Amino acid sequence: MDDVAKSAAVATPPAKLAGGRGIRDLFPVLLLAVLCVVFALLSDRFLTVNNGLIVLQQSTVLLVAALAMTFVIVNGSIDLSVGSIVALSALAAAAASSQMGAFAVMPAVLVGFACGLVNGVLFAYGKIPSFIVTLGTLVIYRGVVLLYTRGAPVSISDPGFLQVYASRSFGIPHSVLIALAALLVVAVVFNHTVFGREVRAVGGGERVALLSGIPVNRVKLGVFVLCGTLCGLAGLLQAARTMAATAQLAQGLELDVIAAVVVGGTPLTGGIGRIRGTVLGVMIIAILSNGMNMIGMDPYLQNIIKGAVLIAAVFLTIDRSKILIIK
Amino acid sequence: MLSARDISKSFGASQALSGVSADFRRGEVVSLVGENGAGKSTLLKALAAVFPWDTGTVTLEGAPYAPKSLAEAEAQGVALVFQELNVNRSLTIAENVMLGRLRRYRRLGLVDWKQLKAEAQAILDRLDSGISVSADIDSLDLGQLKTVEVARALASKPRFVFFDESTAFLNNREAHRLLAVIRNLRDQDHGVAFVSHHLNEVFEISDRLVVLKDGALVDSFEAAGMSEGRLHELMVGREFDGGIFPAATPAREEARIELSFEDVVTRSGLGPVSLDVPAGRIVGIGGLKGSGGDAMLQAVMGAEPVLSGRMTFDGKPFRPGDPRDAWRQGIAYVPGDRTGEGLIPEFAIEENLTMAARPRTAGGFVDRPAGRRVADEMIARLRIKAAGRDAATSSLSGGNMQKVVLGKCLATGPRMLLLNNPTRGVDVGAKAEIYRLMRQLADEGMTILMVTEDLAELIGVADQIIVTRRGAISHRFAPGARPSEEEVVRWMM
Repeated sequence: MDDVAKSAAVATPPAKLAGGRGIRDLFPVLLLAVLCVVFALLSDRFLTVNNGLIVLQQSTVLLVAALAMTFVIVNGSIDLSVGSIVALSALAAAAASSQMGAFAVMPAVLVGFACGLVNGVLFAYGKIPSFIVTLGTLVIYRGVVLLYTRGAPVSISDPGFLQVYASRSFGIPHSVLIALAALLVVAVVFNHTVFGREVRAVGGGERVALLSGIPVNRVKLGVFVLCGTLCGLAGLLQAARTMAATAQLAQGLELDVIAAVVVGGTPLTGGIGRIRGTVLGVMIIAILSNGMNMIGMDPYLQNIIKGAVLIAAVFLTIDRSKILIIK
Repeated sequence: MLSARDISKSFGASQALSGVSADFRRGEVVSLVGENGAGKSTLLKALAAVFPWDTGTVTLEGAPYAPKSLAEAEAQGVALVFQELNVNRSLTIAENVMLGRLRRYRRLGLVDWKQLKAEAQAILDRLDSGISVSADIDSLDLGQLKTVEVARALASKPRFVFFDESTAFLNNREAHRLLAVIRNLRDQDHGVAFVSHHLNEVFEISDRLVVLKDGALVDSFEAAGMSEGRLHELMVGREFDGGIFPAATPAREEARIELSFEDVVTRSGLGPVSLDVPAGRIVGIGGLKGSGGDAMLQAVMGAEPVLSGRMTFDGKPFRPGDPRDAWRQGIAYVPGDRTGEGLIPEFAIEENLTMAARPRTAGGFVDRPAGRRVADEMIARLRIKAAGRDAATSSLSGGNMQKVVLGKCLATGPRMLLLNNPTRGVDVGAKAEIYRLMRQLADEGMTILMVTEDLAELIGVADQIIVTRRGAISHRFAPGARPSEEEVVRWMM
């Protein structure tokens, strides 16, 4: 049949387009490699096992929160309250640690779950844009932390808690193992469950998803509950690392989290995104911070560099030819 | 005269135009006809400098013509009216007409509104549009908005105006008004090139027909001596046995009622409407856009709240809260807006085909093997021309995209299919395939409720024709009746 010949001629772009995106996919990897080489040349303390572990340890909170944010952004939404949820969950863990020890993970995760539930209900069923909802709860959740602590830190001294969350086994920090476990679970949920597909569909075209029978509101709620819960876990890791909960904990974290997701190649427009990209984005942000400290860069200059790298990375990563309108 | 010689254009690996030559004269309407992917739009867009052609030469009134941008083409006298609506509703009508030329109306850095409005009005009047620039832009219907776009094209004072599927999203009345505008342009000594999937429009307006097939020129014909059947053959390169509509199957004795409306009133102003849809039949609803058919489908899908009355499905009361309820009952839906409601163009074909069925294993995991099987089955069964199930859906032609939406529905194994303008913007070959598929599905027992603004389709495909007007059913033709277009239109107005 000439249909066969035709099908070869008609189907214009090769199959690659929908799956891989070619060279742009490699960009975050290249950026990461360039950063490592530059910092290794500038500081002989950078490329050591010990520093590697430090980077990993420093990036656990960012990683878990950025994994959560990936779902939110692929869903076409945004969650500005992640930093505040981390702070509130860390406070829950710290306050409960003296009585519950290692089981203080439960209140932390529960608090995160509840925060996400509030966000999700207001967004999905209250029909308030997620940007507005979470801008509000960013302030509210932080306000709860301030109200409870009155500005004074709540420190953690329970040996059971610190033994489980703030020590190492075989030289590897437990926080890193917990973050890796979270990564594994999230990657499976994102890539291999129907829920993951539905999140992509809602972000790619909400009306299409709705008319195809996807329970759009439930998916949106699920995304924010998942995000809150993961931020609860991130709060636990944060509390374990600082061995205390303070009112300023994780302030501004949401910006690093969004930066990491976007640098990893996930556009804010929704529908498209990769867990692998987010992991790379987190490593880029973490190594950038760590490396700048290692080479003794003026801390007042560091923010400027970070912002410039973010813009440059998105400029090079996002395929603008496929996005007609940039807002 | 605008004269194109041996124009070729490729996009990546696909050859969109190969050595096409065509002439456009002033005072003449030339229609480019051919299936989707034949190269009609590509030719117009290349000539209007939306993108450059690869090889070939073009002369305008004897002089070389090679514009580098849309604006440059307009400056040389060639303007294009796009298929999609390009009116900005947050601007006034006058601003839309003069969009791109607003700088001309600067006086001391401010806008000279008086002159802007007067000149915009002059163009609209020249088109006999009856549109006043002081009207609220939201009060215009689609046809009038399209006219505003035509006026914008004329603001560049072109000698040649190209219309690329400009009637695709218009209803019957709106399309006729646009055709009148085009006739008017020709009479004012403009050269017009026209692309439309509606052959009746093509015949109504053309002086000459340029037939394209697979990116190559078949030939150019005088419109006067051409028949619709012959034109179909030229476009597709084969004969249609008995036209593009399949033969109807005689109704069975007492058909069970699959879906019924009883005095249904919805929030958007539909009703009260009562209708019985028998199982295994194709019921077609005709009417102007917004006259009730769309709302009936939306009500069945749970996408439009029912205020009073009741629906039954399969003999049981049916009141879906959202589209999910309807799909779960076995009702599948092909919406009217392919890329905004039917599928996500950026996604792979497989992902769109499985979006409604969402095959899963225990525990809520994606059943990849089942998904691939479903996708391959639908690509083969619907003859979707694609590089494979992983190709981006946006790489497909309109007809093949529509087949993907149909495939998405069939993958759920539905017992009822709701179709909203199932072949809008689809070429004649794919149309015939979709009609054949509809008939086959109905013969296998599926119930089909179709809403369409395409009269030929309504009359050619439906077993029973219902006409709506202003939110109510204005006429029910007897089952099996094949009225003329005029008879149907009479109940629409």
